[in-house]
Amino acid sequence: MSDTSAISVQGLTKDFRVGLRGLKLRAVDNLSFEIPRGQVFGLLGPNGCGKSTTLKIILGLVAPTAGKISILGYPSATSEARQRTGFLPEAPYFHKFLTGRELVRYCARLSGVPTAQLDSAVEEALALAAMSEAGNRTIGTYSKGMLQRIGFAQAIVHDPELVILDEPTAGVDPVGSAAIGKMIHSMREKGKTVVLCSHLLGQVEQVCDRIAIMDRGRLVLEGRVDEVLARRDKHIITVEHLTPAARVAAEAALQSHGAQVTSITHPRRSLEDLFRELVTGSRDA
Amino acid sequence: MKSSLTRIFWLARLTFLEAVRQRFFAFLIVLGAAMVLSSFAFRFLDFGHGELKFIADFGFGGLFFFGSILALVMTAQLLFAEMDNRTALTLLAKPVSRTEFLIGKFTGIWVVLGLFVFVLSILLGVMLWGRWQELVILAEQSAKVAPQFSLEGVFSHALLQWFRLGVVTSMVLLISTIARTFLFAVVVGAMTIVAGQLQWLAQEALFKPADLNPLSHALLWLASRILPNLQQFNIGDALALDPGAVMSGAVSSALLSGGFYLIAYLFLASLTFKRREI
Repeated sequence: MSDTSAISVQGLTKDFRVGLRGLKLRAVDNLSFEIPRGQVFGLLGPNGCGKSTTLKIILGLVAPTAGKISILGYPSATSEARQRTGFLPEAPYFHKFLTGRELVRYCARLSGVPTAQLDSAVEEALALAAMSEAGNRTIGTYSKGMLQRIGFAQAIVHDPELVILDEPTAGVDPVGSAAIGKMIHSMREKGKTVVLCSHLLGQVEQVCDRIAIMDRGRLVLEGRVDEVLARRDKHIITVEHLTPAARVAAEAALQSHGAQVTSITHPRRSLEDLFRELVTGSRDA
Repeated sequence: MKSSLTRIFWLARLTFLEAVRQRFFAFLIVLGAAMVLSSFAFRFLDFGHGELKFIADFGFGGLFFFGSILALVMTAQLLFAEMDNRTALTLLAKPVSRTEFLIGKFTGIWVVLGLFVFVLSILLGVMLWGRWQELVILAEQSAKVAPQFSLEGVFSHALLQWFRLGVVTSMVLLISTIARTFLFAVVVGAMTIVAGQLQWLAQEALFKPADLNPLSHALLWLASRILPNLQQFNIGDALALDPGAVMSGAVSSALLSGGFYLIAYLFLASLTFKRREI
């Protein structure tokens, strides 16, 4: 394990016993990877590929069948490791009778935030999650996007070095997703390590430095986003004011050097970019 | 140690707030209070035992019965709700150990049960004391012997009942950490409470010189060890109405025995909960 690793997973395997006969179902199969500190790491894969199980094992909520995991140099599932970790579960559910501010305060207490710093830590976390104004409303009145944001606030209130987000944008509209993306960016700017588990590949591509893709409990790809996505055998040249004559000339020039033009199209913006241009914000923002 | 106690305090506080908001708690406290109050109206059905004894038996019975239901259902429900709603995921991902989580849950529920016992005991104490005052005056007028009554005895009984409900809560917590469903936890928990009430029978059978085969003897021995004797807490009428009849040390012995089982069940619950996948 490297000292610079936020998370080190070595040979992780998890079997579940199912049914009365105790048949073995392998959810995670000999998984090994390291997440460097200070980066945003995306853990991707289809439903049932073992992502959430891996996260739960990392957090010590589920015991592994085999393998070693450490968080920031501490064995996972120890108090020292959890003290430095923040977690936003998938589709978070909180006690509805609490206000958002009470929940974040409660989580700060459980995470050992000293009394002298409690108020400032709570307000800072609420401000980062854009929940300061809605903080005095009970959680039962929150929209899905607000629930995710208050979940984010409770995960970061104790200023953890590592933040694990399980599907933080599930069921959230694009504006809310963009807000969560901004929060992830701000965590990276503060030098925190963020592990993001998401199905929104576009967002993962935008915010992550590294990604790992899992399939059937195994790691099928791991690396820097720009490295794994780049196609070194092809190039894109973006040109403005391309007239038909200029296009023919350019193609001829490229062919004379042995290059072959395979397609010329207009660049497209993403639907998400278009949506965000047209829609100014959520009503609950 | 201090930070661990702080976490337990906050977990207990949230459990308390969650529990007192439940309609089930309000329903049972109203039902229990109604039963205690109705004992006054039915006191003519005293079966020749005296009015105070009837009121005390009726009230203590309500406290025992509704308190047991509350301890059983609320404990199982609050633990399963945390796991089913996945709020436990958020809490256990923090520097909160599973033992702290369980002790926090237990403490919060026990405080709620304390509130339940306190409210009903106050009500019962006031009723018994008021009627006792009337009966003393009547006895003086007719030159008869006035009945005995000890308000202190009512509150000693309240303390015993609170402890008994603590033992029940720890027992149900242990069952809930093993059970896969809420229904299973409630059914097995109810059976265990009944078995605890009848545990004294196993103890008596063991001490009788009757010819028991080794298997029966072993089973009785096991039952009398793993189950608490919940019957030993039911000495409310004697404590309140005839304190002289209560053997010296009966209250402290019940508290000590209850305390032992309470700690043992919580310890076992913490061991089984550590292995549970959330």
